[in-house]
Amino acid sequence: MIKVLLFAQLRDDLGKESISLEGNSWSVAELKKKMTADYQLASLETVMTAVNEEFADDDTILSDGDIVAFIPPVSGG
Amino acid sequence: MDTKEERKERYSRQTLFAPIGERGQWNIRKKHILLLGAGALGTANAEALTRAGVGKITLVDRDYVELSNLQRQQLYTERDVEARLPKAEAAKRHLLEIDHGVEVDAIIIDATAQNLEQLLGEVDLIVDATDNFETRMIINDLSQKLHIPWIYGACVGSVGMTLTILPGQTPCLHCLLKTIPIQGMTCDTGGIISPAVTMVAAHQTAEALKILSENWEAVRPALVTFDLWRNQYQSVKLTKAKKKDCLSCGDQRTYPFLNGVNETKTAVLCGRDTVQVRPPRPVKLQLDKLAKKLDGSGYAVRFNPFLLSCEKDGERIVIFEDGRALIHGTKDMIHAKAAYQSILG
Repeated sequence: MIKVLLFAQLRDDLGKESISLEGNSWSVAELKKKMTADYQLASLETVMTAVNEEFADDDTILSDGDIVAFIPPVSGG
Repeated sequence: MDTKEERKERYSRQTLFAPIGERGQWNIRKKHILLLGAGALGTANAEALTRAGVGKITLVDRDYVELSNLQRQQLYTERDVEARLPKAEAAKRHLLEIDHGVEVDAIIIDATAQNLEQLLGEVDLIVDATDNFETRMIINDLSQKLHIPWIYGACVGSVGMTLTILPGQTPCLHCLLKTIPIQGMTCDTGGIISPAVTMVAAHQTAEALKILSENWEAVRPALVTFDLWRNQYQSVKLTKAKKKDCLSCGDQRTYPFLNGVNETKTAVLCGRDTVQVRPPRPVKLQLDKLAKKLDGSGYAVRFNPFLLSCEKDGERIVIFEDGRALIHGTKDMIHAKAAYQSILG
């Protein structure tokens, strides 16, 4: 089981704070692709990813029990 | 100038804070920061760092004060709006009212890789208060090239994000963002509440005080992001984020954002129905002559020594001395360029 935490706009897009997915051994890129398709999200390509509160690349492989956070970069100021 | 005793009294509560102390305060006073942007984050950081006793601030901004700024851009007043003062100039005046002893350089330009590099000669720290990633990537490359730390900060809606970048030690912004993000949500679409600004500025100012007082070990080794409305706070550690092959900070670095290829000549401004148009080369306009010319061709014209504002058929255009213009009431860059060229050729 992988838990995905959703931040900022993504939380509103999905209407919830987190989702849990069965499965593992996905890469972060594969998880992004799956979520984009399953939830009709706009691209997650530029979204930053943390796995267990540590910054992670698209090619990071996920394991059972991981907590993934998708964090959209913020631009305004 | 005030006396040594007055200075001591002014900073007495800050020097009582043990990690800063008298030595830290002396270090802060010697330092020169460049603050890029004098909007919401810019004014909040500028005020806090002026009060904290930083020696010199170079304040860079391309915009002027408008009514919709007053809700969150803490230094400005209705008088600044009426006078249509450039933000850098208005901010400078207010900062000097807080502390006449701080040196403030107000620079009214649209920041590019070239003009920014020229301003960074004596700078100890860059504080980011811009509203776009294009400029942040330029800051990021210059920071690596000139070995100057910088503090990324951004906010929109109730969301904020900040990160401190120390060249040679921490990952850089380019390590975290492979490409410049498409600006999904801006102040335009998401709006902004002022506590999101002050929360980001509080993090940035705290990091700045650590760096300026030379408490390097206290610098936060993580990206912070929060959402004050949805009640979220996340700190992301970056121990594995630094990339050896990063083009900005890696072994084979090329500083890809300094070569000018990525520069736009027109841009829709964050938070407004406005397009900025920039001439291909810097020019120096004679605003009084231009005012006369436009007055004769049916425009309602007002101007001050810094900028000219003209209006015709419900469209308002503001032109700065360096040839830049803000075309209000449109997001259409092609239309904006046409309107610009109809005035300046």
